[in-house]
Amino acid sequence: MSVRFGDVTAAARCNDPEFKTHAHGERERERERLAHVTRGHRGQDNRSRAGTTARGSFYAGAGKAWHESDARAREQTPRTGQRAREMAEHHAASDGKHKASAGAGGSVHGSSRPGAAVGGGGGGGTGKGGLSGGLTQPAGWQSLLSFSILFLACLAGFSSRLFAVIRFESIIHEFDPWFNYRSTHHLTTNGFYEFLNWFDERAWYPLGRIVGGTVYPGLMVTAGLIHYVLNLLHITVHIRDVCVFLAPVFSGLTAISTFLLTRELWNQGAGLLAACFIAIVPGYISRSVAGSFDNEGIAIFALQFTYYLWVKSVKTGSVFWAIGCCLSYFYMVSAWGGYVFIINLIPLHVFALLLMQRYSRRVYIAYSTFYIVGLVLSMQIPFVGFQPIRTSEHMAAAGVFALLQAYALLQYLKDRLTRQEFQTLFFLGVSLAAGVVFLTVIYLTYTGVYVPLARAHYAKIHIPIIASVSEHQPTTWVSFFFDLHILVCTFPAGLWFCIKNINDERVFVALYAISAVYFAGVMVRLMLTLTPVVCMLSAVAFSSVFEHYMGDDTKREKPPAEDSSDEDDKRNSGNLYDKVKSIVTMLMLMLLMMFAVHCTWVTSNAYSSPSVVLASYNHDGTRNILDDFREAYYWLRQNTDEHVRVMSWWDYGYQIAGMANRTTLVDNNTWNNSHIALVSRSNVDYVLIIFGGVIGYSGDDINKFLWMVRIAEGEHPKDIRESDYFTPQGEFRVDKAGSPTLLNCLMYKMSYYRFGEMQLDFRTPPGFDRTRNAEIGNKDIKFKHLEEAFTSEHWLVRIYKVKNLDNREPLDHKLRSVVPRQKYTSKKVTAVGPFVSIAFPKTPRGCFVLSTRSVYCHRGAKKPENIHM
Amino acid sequence: MAPKATILAACLLLVAALGSGVSGDGLVNEDVKRTVDLSSHLAKTTAEIVLSNQGNSGVQSFVLAVEADLAPHLAYIGATVSEPFPTHITQAERQLVVFQGNHYLFSPYPTRSQTTRVRLASKTAESYTKLGNPAKSDEVLEYGPFRDVAPFSEDTMKIHYENNSPFLTISSITRIIEVSHWGNIAVEETIDLRHTGANLKGPFSRYDYQRQSDSGISSVKSFKTILPASAQDVYYRDEIGNISTSHLQVLDDSVEVEVRPRFPLFGGWKTHYIIGYNLPSYEYLYTLGDQYALKMRLVDHVYDDQVIDSMTVKIILPEGARNIHVDTPYKIDRMPNQLHYTYLDTFGRPVLVATKNNLVEQHIQDVVVHYNFNKILMLQEPLLVVGAFYILFFTVIIYVRLDFAITKDPAAEVRMKVASITEQVLTLVNKRLGLYRHMDEVVNRYKQSRDTGALNSGRKTLEADHRALTNEISSLQARLKAEGSDLADKVGEVQKLDGQLKELVCRSSQEAERLVAGKVKKEAYIESEKTLISRRQELVGRIDSLLDAL
Repeated sequence: MSVRFGDVTAAARCNDPEFKTHAHGERERERERLAHVTRGHRGQDNRSRAGTTARGSFYAGAGKAWHESDARAREQTPRTGQRAREMAEHHAASDGKHKASAGAGGSVHGSSRPGAAVGGGGGGGTGKGGLSGGLTQPAGWQSLLSFSILFLACLAGFSSRLFAVIRFESIIHEFDPWFNYRSTHHLTTNGFYEFLNWFDERAWYPLGRIVGGTVYPGLMVTAGLIHYVLNLLHITVHIRDVCVFLAPVFSGLTAISTFLLTRELWNQGAGLLAACFIAIVPGYISRSVAGSFDNEGIAIFALQFTYYLWVKSVKTGSVFWAIGCCLSYFYMVSAWGGYVFIINLIPLHVFALLLMQRYSRRVYIAYSTFYIVGLVLSMQIPFVGFQPIRTSEHMAAAGVFALLQAYALLQYLKDRLTRQEFQTLFFLGVSLAAGVVFLTVIYLTYTGVYVPLARAHYAKIHIPIIASVSEHQPTTWVSFFFDLHILVCTFPAGLWFCIKNINDERVFVALYAISAVYFAGVMVRLMLTLTPVVCMLSAVAFSSVFEHYMGDDTKREKPPAEDSSDEDDKRNSGNLYDKVKSIVTMLMLMLLMMFAVHCTWVTSNAYSSPSVVLASYNHDGTRNILDDFREAYYWLRQNTDEHVRVMSWWDYGYQIAGMANRTTLVDNNTWNNSHIALVSRSNVDYVLIIFGGVIGYSGDDINKFLWMVRIAEGEHPKDIRESDYFTPQGEFRVDKAGSPTLLNCLMYKMSYYRFGEMQLDFRTPPGFDRTRNAEIGNKDIKFKHLEEAFTSEHWLVRIYKVKNLDNREPLDHKLRSVVPRQKYTSKKVTAVGPFVSIAFPKTPRGCFVLSTRSVYCHRGAKKPENIHM
Repeated sequence: MAPKATILAACLLLVAALGSGVSGDGLVNEDVKRTVDLSSHLAKTTAEIVLSNQGNSGVQSFVLAVEADLAPHLAYIGATVSEPFPTHITQAERQLVVFQGNHYLFSPYPTRSQTTRVRLASKTAESYTKLGNPAKSDEVLEYGPFRDVAPFSEDTMKIHYENNSPFLTISSITRIIEVSHWGNIAVEETIDLRHTGANLKGPFSRYDYQRQSDSGISSVKSFKTILPASAQDVYYRDEIGNISTSHLQVLDDSVEVEVRPRFPLFGGWKTHYIIGYNLPSYEYLYTLGDQYALKMRLVDHVYDDQVIDSMTVKIILPEGARNIHVDTPYKIDRMPNQLHYTYLDTFGRPVLVATKNNLVEQHIQDVVVHYNFNKILMLQEPLLVVGAFYILFFTVIIYVRLDFAITKDPAAEVRMKVASITEQVLTLVNKRLGLYRHMDEVVNRYKQSRDTGALNSGRKTLEADHRALTNEISSLQARLKAEGSDLADKVGEVQKLDGQLKELVCRSSQEAERLVAGKVKKEAYIESEKTLISRRQELVGRIDSLLDAL
């Protein structure tokens, strides 16, 4: 028994090295004392260990002991002991932690152990138990240590996300965050209800966008609320700063919720490790650096916290925790579309528990409460609406709910009826009903869980706009390693540990891990959902290894004291063991160190660029800031009419709306393919393109042009053919050998207008494109309907003004009589709007290109009455 | 966009020869030398006037008249108009400007003789009025001298010339000065800037702009703003973030910011930015007891020859400033005071608001704000922070110490009670074991010093302490029993073992006594001591294991 305790102690101790040294110091001092005094002192040491044990051990025995007690209770009360079982269950649940180590000690009702008082506080918070214990108690030290480790993890997580702020400034990054920022700004200036009713006429011209009903408002409301509270306290922080720092703050909260969840799953030490991992792991930092004001930043916190509360409610079977879980789920629904992951994973967990014969009253209470309250709450989000009862993604949850009810009924009847009756009933009714329910559930579960995946596959292959987003590409091994480093190797070990010592909540984490791995394999973007579980399971793996290899001093010291018969043998083997132990420990610590270094490096180099501001470095290390995007956007904002419409590739829609405050045709909200494909067949005043040929910026519009063509081809296969833009050899070239269609299309001409005269370098000919390393093929570019309005300093952004109508041929009264276009008259005249077709002003229908009303009349679409705002 | 009127500021250098005891009506302009400087976008007229008093009475003042149609443009003393003509030019073209003025000094007094000298911005002048056949040499036009000009005589002078100097106008500026008694004055200026020269017609070609030096010659690339020498933490930004194209140069007597808008400003283009900095308050804030005086520039330098259409100044004084009184160098329009809330404010800081239109460089003058401030109020903010933390910690303490459960779980309560009792038992038992350890030390010391008195007193204290501790443990044991815990038996066992242990300790001290007294041999003593120790260890081990089980 004492050996067992030693074991547990080791587990508790190895988690915090400082504690170890503290204990070590004690031991040192002991040795200095007289031999016979030593034993006397050991009492103290042991006592301290007992206290530690109580706090730190959700050791392997935890679940087992609790299930034992559960089982035992059930055995004792086979028929009539409903109440007794309830009590036992309740007892087991509320005191599971104490019992865990008590179970290790062999007594089921080990409630009177010394640590109980201290450990009692552990459930609620970190520091609580410690405070009552005081710092003279090792338990107090331990909770102080846990608290400070957790705090430091949050701090590290927060500060490692600030690279971009320190290097550049407090600015919103990339594309989507600009929309979120703009909405949040609207929310804070106009109030919540105005925000819900907001019809944004600046987006998706001429359709507009009902923002309140088409966003997950959680992010904006969170930022708005924080801003409101701070301003209420007269802390005058600009909403931009709130938005910029929201993700780092929430990453701190994520660390805490990951700690809580891992503590529930394994033990406190693993929890702390997991918190440290999630704080700095690049896979999560990639979406939560300061300035990336996006749903994912807060959603991962909500996800982890919901899971924590779910595990807690499964463990306790209390409605309180289940309601907490629902509220957290509600927050998650309001924050991110990824809530579908929760609403499938939790039913999957329940289903797996049923299959594993792990059904219990706790699961029933937890799931029934969660499903009903969660369903009602999730339907309160306008964007979600009735989806939870209509779409297949949510059907798994409903199916499992029905199944659970049937199963519970079965259990209930089992208690009430005699064996004979029950059997009859079972064979007649229940098998029928349950069979039906089972089949539906299996069917629904199948469709429910796998449809999104199938859809993801489908979308990827068939809808070019989805495939055109780089984050929808399948994940490569490199990016697994890049984002998770050593964790990707250790997390299977953690999973194995969990499966080896399975219990209710470990079933959950195993399912979480497996499904997340699958999703992450489908899309790079879903690495994000994988990251937390990888951190947790790796923490479990590291924690277990350290338990074995770091904390065994006490265990080794004890046996020689008790039986000195084969002391020498033990010493020798002990020495060898000691070496192995220290080697393993060193290796592990090295790995962790390298992990930290890698994380910092990746964060600093890969994920901390605002992408709105570019930086280049000279030979002497000084930095040049290329601020072309903002230059051009700000020009648009200041020097164009408030109501002009700007056409651009959809990436830049949000930025134009956010920074230039002008109407855009399309933006990053990819809900309407045909609209994106038709970009330009409408009435615009300015055309904005990104051109990287001068500075060698590879993400420019010429490189994205093929996607535009593909999207357009997807919608208008008769007008546009991708193959026209390739050379006969199948190459995409911009030089003289390039396809004439490409060389004369509008995008090409806009990009290279007057570029042919420009000599960047003495070694290269004029018109040498640095991005594609080629001299452009068409240097003599003239426009008929466009004029250059603005080009930024490094030519990165070029804005063209569409000339007024009166410059063109009149086309008023003849419009109605225009014969629908012959489809294949001239292949060159593949008009997808100005991007392509303005290059051919000679076409008989050149008028339709970029002209205002004619497009609509010509296409037979609804006549725009109020286009000119 | 209508071409904007540009403003003229006339500085008068008055050389007045006043006769003795004359009336105001007899004033005569003896000799007037006017200089009209058109080299920048701002037309500056300087007039040197020799004034003589032909009347009989002494003159205290004289009147300077301003042409009626110029009154709206008057910035400082006088004003006149120059407009770009043509109003729209392409990027490659040069900017031409028409200046309309008066050939004569506009004065209520007759003038004997005057000359007007016009300095142009460039050699190129398309046309100019030929009154009196002016002489033109390079950039200078000389009119006159004109003899015996009647009062209020006007004759339009029109000059059409090339002027590529940037026609920048600040269409509005908001200057916020925030005074903190903690040693800082924060200044922030929000500026709307507009190029009021000839509008850009047609495309803007970056290629031409970069490759040809005379392309867009009238556009504004950058300008210099001079800040006070002690300015720190300068920032230059707009709604979408920091404007990265600026340079800061710290000079001996000033800080120069090279302000470069995000894009070059062509005619008709505008931009908007914010520039801000901190100043140490000791340079601008004067104090005498509770009285304070803030002496700052009402408007500061933005660019050379600046023209401001409308300005708003807000001066934010510390919370609790009273009896505010403002001394302005010139007339400004005061608006009602406002309240401003920022960090750690409770009842708000008073904000003085003032506006003024049409300002030029000569308006850069100091304003003095007097107010009273009770120094005790300085403590308010730290106390607020202290209070907040106090409340926070107090809440945590309350939360941790009190039980907020709405249901009572008797089992859990008993468990907690038992746990606390066992905790006490553990402490006591360990203390008791410590007593033995202490006793051992006493014995060892005794063996060396052979001081029987010390040994006896040590033994006595041991006895007393031991009895007290044992009693306490027994009472705890009784309480455990009362709670119905089976641990009471274990404690009883510990007590029993402890009795034996104590006996051993006593025996070892007796043995030591006998050894010192020479009643036993050293070998025998060591032998017995060894057995005693091993038995003690055994007992301690058993107690330990019992304690572990507690």
